[in-house]
Amino acid sequence: MRAEMPGPQKPLELILARNLLTSVTTPAFLVARDGTLLFYNEGAGALIGRPFEDIGQLGIEEWTRRFGPFDDGGEPLPFAELPLTRALREGRPAHDELTVRSADGVKHRIAASAMPIVGAASGASGAMVIFWPVDDEQAREVTTGRHEVSR
Amino acid sequence: MRVRVWGARGSVPAPGPEMNRYGGNTSCVELTLASGETLILDAGTGIRTLGFSLPPDLARINILLTHLHLDHIQGLMFFPPCFRTESIIRIFGPSSPEASLEARIARYISAPLSPVEVRELPCDVSFLDAPATEWEIGGCTIRAEAVTHRGPTLGYRITDRDATVCYIPDHEPGLGTDLAELGSEWISGFDLAREADLLIHDCQYTDEEYPGHEGWGHSPVNDTLTFASRVGARRTLLFHHDPLHTDGFLDDLHRTARRRWGELGGDPEQIAIAAERAEIAIGAVPASAPARLAV
Ligand SMILES: [Zn+2]
Ligand SMILES: [Zn+2]
Repeated sequence: MRAEMPGPQKPLELILARNLLTSVTTPAFLVARDGTLLFYNEGAGALIGRPFEDIGQLGIEEWTRRFGPFDDGGEPLPFAELPLTRALREGRPAHDELTVRSADGVKHRIAASAMPIVGAASGASGAMVIFWPVDDEQAREVTTGRHEVSR
Repeated sequence: MRVRVWGARGSVPAPGPEMNRYGGNTSCVELTLASGETLILDAGTGIRTLGFSLPPDLARINILLTHLHLDHIQGLMFFPPCFRTESIIRIFGPSSPEASLEARIARYISAPLSPVEVRELPCDVSFLDAPATEWEIGGCTIRAEAVTHRGPTLGYRITDRDATVCYIPDHEPGLGTDLAELGSEWISGFDLAREADLLIHDCQYTDEEYPGHEGWGHSPVNDTLTFASRVGARRTLLFHHDPLHTDGFLDDLHRTARRRWGELGGDPEQIAIAAERAEIAIGAVPASAPARLAV
């Protein structure tokens, strides 16, 4: 059988992080060292309103333009200030409350915690960002695992 | 290159009359390179008998360890060349931020688990972290990469002239995912195994046994075959047999695997199952392989 011709293989810690995120209901993103969105799980899909398969890997600019986060006036926040960017830049966890927009245009207030991923062999390879809806009802659904992904 | 299996069992040695055909020794594979040099993959209990078969004047020996689970290092202390002053043994293995390879192996080769200490071995032995980039031994190139298992574990890709062998004896690439659907850049071990002439791969469980062992670090038949198919392996050697699997059980497992491979569009002859002392030739075989002693 012939092998497919794929892109470069991801470092093991990102592969394992993706496996972990697939198995949890907490909305979470996996981001490469350069900020490219690599994957988000079904919990995040429910928050955004679209499953990952519909959107795929996105560059930083496209990602923030479409999903925020935004300030209170609706303007995208400077990329350098996001918890994710800080985690990647400073190599330590970062946390903030932000507003994001789902695919249907609805805005959600969320708390975001970003954690850098440093591999044994490959060094800093990306970050994991976990989201907690600040809105009570949604938060309750997420923490009890009772939400559905619209497909 | 000539590949010879000295131990194909996983987890723990499983001797017994019902295991005689496939053997009870744990992971150890010998590669004889086109140059005539020997490369040893893992040091499970199979390495003891391998040691007796090596010519007594063979000085330089290289061992590649995938990881330090006991079934992959247990034979080291009983490897005859370790007790010869002429032997120069280099052991490669996964690095760790916690302790050197030697210090980690010495936890086993030391009191009270062992009657000898590493420093007492009369041979010239060195312990080396497997390099992060490709390196060369005896004219072949070797690449080591971390793969999905429990604890830091490497897989190896060894290319000798026109032949490539990939050795991933302990591997659970399907953990929590559907390997058939996953993008190939997200599959653990994909680059190592890509279009290998021979893929020696974990196949510890049947598909029926797997649900009770998910996360234990090993593959069921279906994942082994899906992985082999995705990477385009030319031949696959099912390896790391469960200690509970008797000869008859492994015969059935092999038949099932061949049938499934056929259903995936492959030639069933491409699926072999590892048995102790079995030999497979790939590409150029050494013209004058070193003489062997009868074992
Ligand atoms: Zn093992
Ligand atoms: Zn193991």
